[in-house]
Parts: sequence; structure tokens; C-alpha cells
Amino acid sequence: MVSQSSSRRIAAVSTTLQVFAVAVVLLIPVIWMALSSLKRPGEVTRYPPTVIFDPTLANYAKLFAEVPFFEYGLNSLIVSVVSTLLGLALALPCAFAISWHSVSWPATIALITRMAPGTLFVLPWFVLFSNLGMTGGYWVLILTHTVITMPLALWVLLPYFDALPRSIFESAFVDGCRGVKCLVHIAIPLVLPGLMVAIILSFIASWNYFLFALVLGGIDTKTLIVASFNFVGEGATDWGRLMAAAVLICLPPLVLIFIMQRGLISGLSGGSVKG
Amino acid sequence: MSAAVERAPVSAAVAGTGSKPTQKPPQLMWMAAPSLIFVALMVAVPLGYAIWFSLSDFRMGNAVTKFIGLSNYTRMVADPLFWNGLKITVLLYVLAIVLQLVLGLYLGLLMNRVTVLKQLVRTILISPFLMPPVVIGMMWIVILDPSLGAANYLLELMHLPPSDWLASTQLVLPVVALIDTWQWTPFVALLVLGGLQTLPTNVYEAAQIDGVSRGKIFLHITLPLLGPTLVTAAILRSVDLLRFFDLIYITTQGGPGNASRTLNIYSYQRGIEFLDMGYASAMMLTLTTIILGFVFVLTNLKKAVSW
Repeated sequence: MVSQSSSRRIAAVSTTLQVFAVAVVLLIPVIWMALSSLKRPGEVTRYPPTVIFDPTLANYAKLFAEVPFFEYGLNSLIVSVVSTLLGLALALPCAFAISWHSVSWPATIALITRMAPGTLFVLPWFVLFSNLGMTGGYWVLILTHTVITMPLALWVLLPYFDALPRSIFESAFVDGCRGVKCLVHIAIPLVLPGLMVAIILSFIASWNYFLFALVLGGIDTKTLIVASFNFVGEGATDWGRLMAAAVLICLPPLVLIFIMQRGLISGLSGGSVKG
Repeated sequence: MSAAVERAPVSAAVAGTGSKPTQKPPQLMWMAAPSLIFVALMVAVPLGYAIWFSLSDFRMGNAVTKFIGLSNYTRMVADPLFWNGLKITVLLYVLAIVLQLVLGLYLGLLMNRVTVLKQLVRTILISPFLMPPVVIGMMWIVILDPSLGAANYLLELMHLPPSDWLASTQLVLPVVALIDTWQWTPFVALLVLGGLQTLPTNVYEAAQIDGVSRGKIFLHITLPLLGPTLVTAAILRSVDLLRFFDLIYITTQGGPGNASRTLNIYSYQRGIEFLDMGYASAMMLTLTTIILGFVFVLTNLKKAVSW
């Protein structure tokens, strides 16, 4: 018995060490990015690189002083929030209907949409939206980002709708509760955990999306992602400013992940593994 | 995320049990209409345009566009850069998917044994793949800089020669594959972890009673039972890897030379930077067909390994 418990302890220690190693590999680059954003211009490109230094927020101040970083952030926020809401407004009734009727083809269509490369759509969009005079505005970005958020929300929500007992809706229908009313008053409160996951994942997907804003965005609607891509293109290695931008762009997704960790993990694996 | 494709008609038999016999279940399909109309307008119409572009000599700004049949496709077959793009795409795909499935399986099994700080470790796991690819690219540009980067300093500490990383023709593909692996292995691991938790425990108990070794349990029980989960992970990663774009566009733009110019990057550059939209559409439709072909094959493989 003694040898068994000690071998179990060795196994536990080895597991912990391996997890620690994995965590280090995953976290070190991100920590390095954060550290670099706090270094002075001479410090950030010093070789050999320094770990201990006098931290400064100068890079962040420079970011807001030199470029309209706040406006870019606002653009990103407008596009992500509205495309998330629009995606949900479309996906919620769709998930409700196809779950009730047990049909899968609309979900399959949404899935194929998600699988095609964005570059395939971006050329026709560029032409079509230019003809409509919409390029450079917010709506073109919101609509194209909804092509990302809607299928995502639909796929996250479906298992939650499928798990609801049919009898609830049947008695609601008998009581004369119909369509949208039934969705809003009965279904949505019951799928609230799934709805939260769908909101967060849609927001992050839209916030992170690069290609559509790169091609279809204008000077006034430039998102954070496109703006920081331009920093890379500017060549001159102002690494401090670059890393400060990187940290700020990461912040909303990371904060949301920390708030929603438990729900997110089940939502992420739920939809994909159950099948 | 292929659950609904195979969704069983959950409770078709139960339908109507709670209602009066005369009551028909209400027709709700109209509620799916807004999203279907949205997809038709935003996806089907542009797809139609893309097909038309691919059959024409369309160029943004040209006054006349004429139908040229399959000329764009014959041009594609004769274009060495198309074949280079396809080669790069496949190489990157094979490299990254093998790494991510093997490491993801290892990490998933490891996570299944974790007992302390479970939640914190899982939060660390979901962070990389929810970070913007643009930021991931910026981060690694700084770390992998050939002259001032921290990566080369680490090599120096280990008395190894410095590397050009993303600026090296030979290394750029493995490096991009490794960065993607850094970002997406945790995602595969989470799927594996979810799969492990649905496995029947009685099989393991029986095997333990029979004194089957741990290696054999893994090889003959765990691995086959995880088959569907691994194929699901392969499907999801295949789609992203075959249309690889963001990270390469930020770090190398396809270079050095053409060493990382995937088909998606090449056709994007032809279409947007050279406004050669007919030809670019032909290549993008080809790529889309390849991706859907992969998904089709893998979906059938998943049915074959299901239990």
C-alpha cells in the first residue's frame, strides 16, 4: 500500500510539473509582450534583452498622442457590439425554429459559410459595396462581420435549444403563446447560459477579425486590428508602441475570458463534441 | 461544431404528447427566414459574383467585362505560383495538423489528470486561441527578430547559432506552423478533454480488473474511443489551416521570396493588390472546393470511427 501511494504521489508531481511547463510555454510570449510594452525606447531593443528594468507607461501615452488610438478602439467596439447583436438577433429565432422542427440544413448552410475562406467573399463584397457607396462606412463592416458572428452564435446556441424539453413549448403553444413571444419569454431565459457564451465568443470573433476591415474599412472606420497592422507595416521598429497596442487590443478578449471562464469552456467543447 | 449535421430527430416521437390530440405542432420555420435571407444576400449573391468573375476577365475599373470561359482556370494550371501556393498550403497543413493533434492529445490527457488549480489552468489554455491573430503575429515578430529578438538570445545562452526564423526561406514554414501550434494546440486539448469526459468508465474498470497495462489501455481503449473527437478537431483545424491567412499576412506577407505564399495569400494579393479579380476568384473557388472536399472526407471518416 505504501509503495502504491508513493507512486501515485510521483505521478501527481510529474503531472504538475508537465502542466507547469505547458503553462510557461503558453504564457512566456504573452508576458514578454507585456514587459516590452513597459520598456523605454532604448531598453526595448537592448541586446541582450533585459528582464529587470524601470517600467514606464510612456509607450501607452505615445500611442494615444501620436495616433487616434481611442477612435480606432471606438470603431472596433461599434463594429463588434453591433455585429454581435445583429448575429444574435438572426441566430436566436433560427436556432429556436430548427431545433423545434429538428431540421439541420439551415445549420449546415451556416457551417459551410463559416468554412469558406473570407477572401472568397471579400472580392465580390468590395465590388458590390463600392457600387452601393457603402465602403468606408460602419455598416459594411457590421454586415460582413455578422457573416462571422451569426453562424458562430447559431452553432453555440443549438445544443442549448436541443436540450430544452419539448413539453414546455407544447404547453406554451396550447396557452396561445406564439413565435417571437414564446422565444423571448420562455426559450431565451432557459438558454441564458448558452446565450452568454454566444455573446462573448461572437464579440471576440468580431473584435479579432482582420481581413474584412482591412479591405472594406475606411479612414474613419479603421479598427484597432487594422491600425496596428499598419504599425507593423511602417517598418521602423518602435517595438514599445507596437507592444503597447498589442496589449490594449488583447485586453477586451482576455478580460471577457476571465469573467466567463467556466461557461466558455463548456460552450466551446459542448457544441463540437456532442455530435 | 458538426453536431447538428448529424442531429437525431430529438423527440419527434414525443411531439404532441403534452397537447390535445387535435392540436398540430405549430409551424415555426418562418423564424429561420431572416438568417437565411441574410445568408442569401451576404453569401450566396457574392458567391454567384465570384463564379461569374472567375469566368470573365473582370478587373476593377475596366469599362467592359467579357466572358472568357475557363481561361482563368487554364491560366491557373499553367501558373507556377499557383502550384507553389498549393504546395506551401499542403506543407503547412500537414506540418501543423500533425503537431496540433499529437500535442493536443497529449495535453488533453494531461489536463484530465490535473487536480489542483484546474480552473486557472483551463483559463490559461483558452487564452491563446481567443487572442487576435494580428496580435499573435506582432508578438512573435518582436520575439523572433533576427538581430534583437529574445529567441536568438535564448539560442545564444544554449551556445547554438542564431537563426533568421521568419526571414529564412527554409525555416519560415516550420516557424509559422509552430506559432499556429502554440495558438491552437490548447483548443485541440480542450476538445480532447471534453471527449475524455464522455467516455464510459465501465470499460476502464473492466480493463483494470483484468490487469491490462496502461499502455495497452491507451492504445486499445482510449485512442479508439477518442477517434470521433480527434476527427472533429481535425475538421475544425483543417478548415483554418487550409485557408491560412492572418498570421502570414502580418509576419511575412508570403515571403521571403515565395516561401510562405499560401494559396489564400497568393490569390488575395492577385485580387486586391493587383486587382486581377477574375483570376483571383478562380483560385479562391478552387481553394474553397479543396477545403469542402477535405471536410467531406473527414466527416465520412468521423462516421467510420464513431462508436
